[in-house]
Amino acid sequence: MHRKDNKSAELLQGTLDLLVLKAVSLGKMHGYGILLRIEQISGGSLDIEQGALYPALYRLERQGMLATEWGTSENNRKAKYYILTSRGRVQLKDEERSWSRLVEAIGTALKARPNEV
Amino acid sequence: MFRFLHWRSLFRRDRFESEMADEFAFHLQARIDDLMRTGLSPQEAERRARLEFGGKERYRAECRESHRVHWLDELGRNIRYALRSLRRTPAFSLAAILSLALGIGINTFIFSVFDSLVLKPLPIKDPARVTFIETTTGNTHSFPDYREFRDRAKAFSGIAGYRISVMNFEHGGEPNRMWCYLATGNYFDVLGIRPAAGRFFHQQDDLHPGASPYAVLSYTTWQTRFAGSPQAIGATVRINGLSYTVLGVAPKEFHGTEMFYWPEVWLPMMMQPQVEVGNAWLEERAEWNTMMLGRLKPGITSVQATGDLNRIADDLARQYPLIDKDMHMRLAELGFMGSSLREPVEAFAGGVLLLASLVLLTACSNLAGLMLARVTDRQQELAIRVSIGAGRLRIVSQLLTESLVLAFLGGIAGCALSVTACKLFSGWHAPVDFPVQIAVNPDWRLLAFAAAITLVTGLLFGLGPALRSSRTDLNPSLKGNAGISLLKTKHRFAVRDLLLVGQVAVCFVLVFACILSLQGLQRAITQPLGFDPQNVTTAAVELGSAGYSEAQGKLFQQRLAESLRSLPGVTSVAYANSLPLSVDQSTTSVESTEEPGKTGRRRAQANYYEVSPGLLPTLRVPLLRGRDFNEHDNAHAPLVAVVNESFARKIFNTNDPIGKTFRYGPQSPPIQVIGLVRDGKYVSLTEAPDAAFFGCILQTYNPTTTLVVRSLTSAAALAPQIAKRIRALDPKLPVYGAGNLESMLGFAMFPMRAAALALSAFGALALLLTVTGIYGLVDYSVVRRTREFGIRIAVGARAFELLRLMLGRLLVLVSVGLAVGVILAFAAGAALSAVIYTTSPTNPILLVGVLLALLVSALLASWKPVLRGLRVNPVSALRCE
Repeated sequence: MHRKDNKSAELLQGTLDLLVLKAVSLGKMHGYGILLRIEQISGGSLDIEQGALYPALYRLERQGMLATEWGTSENNRKAKYYILTSRGRVQLKDEERSWSRLVEAIGTALKARPNEV
Repeated sequence: MFRFLHWRSLFRRDRFESEMADEFAFHLQARIDDLMRTGLSPQEAERRARLEFGGKERYRAECRESHRVHWLDELGRNIRYALRSLRRTPAFSLAAILSLALGIGINTFIFSVFDSLVLKPLPIKDPARVTFIETTTGNTHSFPDYREFRDRAKAFSGIAGYRISVMNFEHGGEPNRMWCYLATGNYFDVLGIRPAAGRFFHQQDDLHPGASPYAVLSYTTWQTRFAGSPQAIGATVRINGLSYTVLGVAPKEFHGTEMFYWPEVWLPMMMQPQVEVGNAWLEERAEWNTMMLGRLKPGITSVQATGDLNRIADDLARQYPLIDKDMHMRLAELGFMGSSLREPVEAFAGGVLLLASLVLLTACSNLAGLMLARVTDRQQELAIRVSIGAGRLRIVSQLLTESLVLAFLGGIAGCALSVTACKLFSGWHAPVDFPVQIAVNPDWRLLAFAAAITLVTGLLFGLGPALRSSRTDLNPSLKGNAGISLLKTKHRFAVRDLLLVGQVAVCFVLVFACILSLQGLQRAITQPLGFDPQNVTTAAVELGSAGYSEAQGKLFQQRLAESLRSLPGVTSVAYANSLPLSVDQSTTSVESTEEPGKTGRRRAQANYYEVSPGLLPTLRVPLLRGRDFNEHDNAHAPLVAVVNESFARKIFNTNDPIGKTFRYGPQSPPIQVIGLVRDGKYVSLTEAPDAAFFGCILQTYNPTTTLVVRSLTSAAALAPQIAKRIRALDPKLPVYGAGNLESMLGFAMFPMRAAALALSAFGALALLLTVTGIYGLVDYSVVRRTREFGIRIAVGARAFELLRLMLGRLLVLVSVGLAVGVILAFAAGAALSAVIYTTSPTNPILLVGVLLALLVSALLASWKPVLRGLRVNPVSALRCE
């Protein structure tokens, strides 16, 4: 039971990281904006609490994938902005590639017919 | 860098917290704005925004966690993960930890022995500046020569002379035989040590023969004899019947300068005539009994010091050409009475360490193979992890952590093993009348070594598989099973193949070395000793130190022999100063009277014994020509000797030396040869035939008396009876070395026994590891190819073809491994010969035998999985995936 929980958490974490990187790759953005972008690009299918975004952001920042700076938002409020670092860019490309391979692999596997095995 | 981040987050915690609060507040406000724009009331918007955001405190904590996490946390996570995954395969984990524990334990133990014998400096002041001084032909000097070196050497701040000796020690109760160092007055000052209690003796305490009755106790003696009492200082003890004053106690960790010898007391050199009664040599130029050690002056190199010594040696050679001609000095490291003993000890310890590391290497390659199989089996899991965003570095570090956790657990167990072994080894006493002791104290050096090899081991068997895993190809791994493509499988096995080849090769070397040395031991046991120890009991007394004069001593020896002859079951009794293969051996230099002229230290050396009439028959030494001694060969008759074959050849160049004469030197009287005996073993079982001669003890007298009693049966009770008869004649005389002669030979056997034991353990361990390795490989390949076999069986493959599929590759690998092993065995021959005792290192029958045995073990190891492969049910095999 415990193990299962961990596994799903890891799955979620990996996916969220990928989505965050993707969202930030579209341009410098603050946390709330990143959330909106993710909802937008994923068609609103990401079912998490909004606060869960921040641990991911902090982690990616620590890992050197994201850099931060304070700036002013559209409606003149002080906001912390996230920027994709070159390391983050490389990581994003890597993950995009393996993700599409995974999708392709699962697709192939699902299309398999009995006589192919 | 991570450390820096960590540090920063510590010191800027307040700022970090307030920024996080600002960031969350901004998020909520922006959300509220957006929600209000959709027409919600401010209150409703705020409620919704908070709800959507979730537990603020929880995320704050998680953010802190995410930001704070540095490599230690990552390591912690990896370790937890590793432990979990190791727990899932308890059999594998246990086997791995056990083999690592044995490998690391053996290596650490042998390193500790090696370290304390060879590497660790002595507990003296600036040990690197103190050196042993020897000649190119021996490790001892005459005492007059020592005085010359001490007084004339300019390169040394001091040169001390010393000698290992034995005496009768009495302090309340019965006298005991005790081992000591006779040491010149400057000894402790040259070594630069401080007493644990009282004071040491100094130069001015050691000026005139017989005038310095002082004793320095070893720490152990102080504790056991005087209960560590401060009153021991100044106490009077009796040594060989004379009163000595205890001056002080040596430090606990100081046991003199010989690594294997723990003296019980130190006495001033000037007491030599009183300690070695009847054998005063302080003024003898031709008696080489003194060892020398010196402290180099600051800035003096060993080359300069050697030159300095040789300048004096050349002077001495000119002054005393008959004795000191061709004397060349050299320096050696302290610890083993010069290089003649140190070199074989170093070679032996080094050789054993080499073999032990080979065992560890086998364990490593075995584990690497198993880890590789684990990784291959977990490819699907790893592929998933990679696909959900775990970096390759992360996976490598995770797998590596697994290996290191295994290595660490094995290392801890190994450390415990080696500490136990060290304790046992230090507590072990050789079964001889000599304080042989080697202290191997587990200390930080042991820990450091264990930690280092644990780390290296973990990396060795973990890095390869971990790196391999990072090359995981996602597609086939996720699709079903990598086993589908046979071509890929072949490639994947390349590393494992190499590991197996290496393992088989090392295993061959170890097993071959093990069998060779066991065979050597067997041969040594059955080899003619030159005498028959069976049913012989011995006991020894030292009459000189007990105060006997020569006349009294001679009488006592004869009365004692007479008394023992009447013991029931005794067939003959004789005595000698020493017996072949005992600890106490004497050599002397001799020359033929027909062919003098060989001078100085180049003259022929021979082992010599002073024996009573009847000793040679009692020991059953085969007499080839001439006669044994009889009671007419006494002090009034001309000197006679019985010599062995090698002596006859070396000194007289003949097989029939009867009637020929030899002498110790130009001034000494001639000795006539009356008998010829077969060569035997004298100093060690492994020695080449060496010259030896026996003199008649009635003509010379030697106060050291070893009784030799032959009985009808091996009477275990005889030794105490002999001791009883001795006490009946003199109740104050300490008896030592009493027991069965056969078991006393254990001393001569010990090095070989130890080597054979170690090698057997290594060989067995390596064989076990290799067999499990082969089993693992075959089992794994059969499991992976179950489907293929199913198909093949379904389409009508015969058993033979399946066998070829399963075993062909294995046989090739094992054969290559064996071939490499043979080459290695020959290449390592030189290193191994220090450990292995053998007369023919390249015995072809043995070689083929070991090869076949390993091949058969390989086949046996693969038997079970192969049978399973043959019995694959095609229907279930095809369905299983």
